[in-house]
Amino acid sequence: MNNRRVYSFIKLFLALSTFILTGCGTVDLEIRQTNTNTAMQPRSVAILPFTLEEPVHEKVSPNDLFRTCFYNYFSFLGYIDVPLEVIDLKLSKAGLTENKKILEMSPEKLREILGVDAVIRGRVLSANNFTGGIHAETSIKAKIDMLDLRTGDVLWETEHKESTYSGILSPTIVEIIQDQIDNVKVHQAYFKTAEIFSISLMKEIPDPADKWTEKIRLPKITKIETNLKPNLKLKPNDRIYVNLEGDPGLAGSFGIGSWKSSIPLKEIVPGLYTGSYTIKSSDDVSSSLIVGTLKNKNGLTGKKFYKDGMAQFDSPSTN
Amino acid sequence: MIMAKHIPTLSRSLGVILLLTLIPACASDLQTKVSGHLNGLSKHQTVAILPVEASNVGHKEMANMFRQGLYANLKQSKFNLLEKYIIDGLLKQNHLNDPGSFLNINPMQFGEILGADAIVFSRINKVERSYLIVHSSIELSVSVQMVDTRTGEILWRAEQTEHDFSGIGKIPTGITTALFAPIQFVTNKFNLSKMTSKMVDKLTALVKKPENAQKETQFENTVISKNATTDLKKIEEVQQLKAEWDEKLVTGKGTQISSSQKSQNETQNKKKNLSPPLLIGKIQSEVPLKANVRKVVTVETEMGPHLNTPKTNNVEAIIPIPLSTYNATLAIQPPIDAQKSEEKIKLSESTNNSLKLTFFTVQVGAYKKKTYAQTLLNKLLKKGYKAFLVREGTYKVQVDKFKNLQDAQQLARHILEKEKIKNFVTHAG
Repeated sequence: MNNRRVYSFIKLFLALSTFILTGCGTVDLEIRQTNTNTAMQPRSVAILPFTLEEPVHEKVSPNDLFRTCFYNYFSFLGYIDVPLEVIDLKLSKAGLTENKKILEMSPEKLREILGVDAVIRGRVLSANNFTGGIHAETSIKAKIDMLDLRTGDVLWETEHKESTYSGILSPTIVEIIQDQIDNVKVHQAYFKTAEIFSISLMKEIPDPADKWTEKIRLPKITKIETNLKPNLKLKPNDRIYVNLEGDPGLAGSFGIGSWKSSIPLKEIVPGLYTGSYTIKSSDDVSSSLIVGTLKNKNGLTGKKFYKDGMAQFDSPSTN
Repeated sequence: MIMAKHIPTLSRSLGVILLLTLIPACASDLQTKVSGHLNGLSKHQTVAILPVEASNVGHKEMANMFRQGLYANLKQSKFNLLEKYIIDGLLKQNHLNDPGSFLNINPMQFGEILGADAIVFSRINKVERSYLIVHSSIELSVSVQMVDTRTGEILWRAEQTEHDFSGIGKIPTGITTALFAPIQFVTNKFNLSKMTSKMVDKLTALVKKPENAQKETQFENTVISKNATTDLKKIEEVQQLKAEWDEKLVTGKGTQISSSQKSQNETQNKKKNLSPPLLIGKIQSEVPLKANVRKVVTVETEMGPHLNTPKTNNVEAIIPIPLSTYNATLAIQPPIDAQKSEEKIKLSESTNNSLKLTFFTVQVGAYKKKTYAQTLLNKLLKKGYKAFLVREGTYKVQVDKFKNLQDAQQLARHILEKEKIKNFVTHAG
């Protein structure tokens, strides 16, 4: 009778523990430095290659998967995040290909190479994917921090283990089977775990988005002119001219609907851009608006449509 | 013994039950369609994921989670994503705070506000959690639409419903779990997050690789969003009216062209092959709107140096309407009714000079008959504007001259706002 009670108690305890465990997704992130001065908030951030402390048996790189996943979610926050391929290219050009050495670099040197305010460093301390019997588990334990390259200060850091577990403690048999099936796909299993880790972490990382709301300004286009007229059908060798007035010193271009884009405009006097497109015999488009574009060095784009005429090509098929 | 006899039957039944429970365990209904033009989006094009519409306040958390998931998933797609904080900041600056109203706004307007080539609208239709002692379930339903701001075309449209449950149907491992699992399932936010993540994963699979789209998941025809269709029609109507008005009242057919022709002949007199131009105003029958398969192509520079006329052998080459840039290079007659003699001198001095020495002026009209031009000129002079007449093929009414482009632009805006006269900034001779 006593044994029965003990057994029931243990089972209840295990079941409750499972619920608590599966519910845990909270990352304990320690904020080390708080910049009350907006000007001192890091604006541009590069996510350095993550390292893997213990090699895994599978043919996957949990650290690379985690980095990609982390980047996908981190982009949601209000930082200017440098694309991973750009970071890797810059590091490789500087002769840095070994992840561990990159993490040991001085802030000054990293700033010189990457040209950003801060970097995120990730160390995957352990990664595990196991499927056997009725037990399936994938886990990633990592230490992540943000280093301000201007001051050398660590702004925040965290050490967290994220696990997706399924086994004797799972509440239903169907879930056990389903989790076993899912866990065998190692790549997806790691990615899923990394995703949960990232989502949990994003809730804790300070998001400066609100600070920039009023400061965002797209390149301004005050006017766009073309030689298009209503009902005019364009023939091969006809030329569409586009003039655009707006902010000076930017990269100007125009597009014909979604059919052609990035046709360059040249700035002839500050703030006045001009360009043209010659229709080819193979061109075929109907009723497209001309859209002028000005792009600044940060990649922000201002657009303006020319609404007094549309590009209509007099293709053989329309005759 | 009797039990032993039934073991194979029992195990078979158990197997069938297991299979049956596995199948509906995570029911998913996804209806998605993409346009062939989605393939045309590349890293040169920017897509903005707008804030998600939530049908009730309780769905806001789910809406944020869904948007974050969409963002993270589409980060791996072929096109460039506009940063979330930029979208939110620009929408706020333009007082567009209600995601529920986004679908009523022309995508083209979003294109100008956000500088995006395509936008993603999405809505949380349903977040339903139910609990009944040994059974609980969560049902999520979303709608998504991606629209090209340049054409109004719907590039992607999807409706998805995801359903999961916990209870007897999933064969609990014990009585305790049979009771606790359903409670845990509906109360733990982690499950909602997991389901959302799974949902977005399935939802975006086709957008990330549109080249894998089967025939049944592609739109048969080009589908234009309703608001864009209405607005494009309006634009076409206005254009039509403007064309008719232009023909009757303002520059007669070909007059403006002839000036351009003259301009081009003067500036490019070295060009031997310059052919008679096609009159821009030559109205031809309207082309019916048809859905051509178009591909976005990044075009190499077509434009020669600014001062060169495009070299063409075609007899029907188009000559542009007088655009400020080209006028700037012309040796045009000085104004016949200029207000300031000093400026006249400067003007004539600057004739044929480089761009740096030219002035900017605001052109408010060009008329074939001098009387019409004179009427407008007098009207403006009475109001205190430094207006003058320039004869250059047509009689052009221009206002003031500036060394600085910004000053001219400021006056142009002022004239448009105060006098409601359409105008443009051009180079004074």
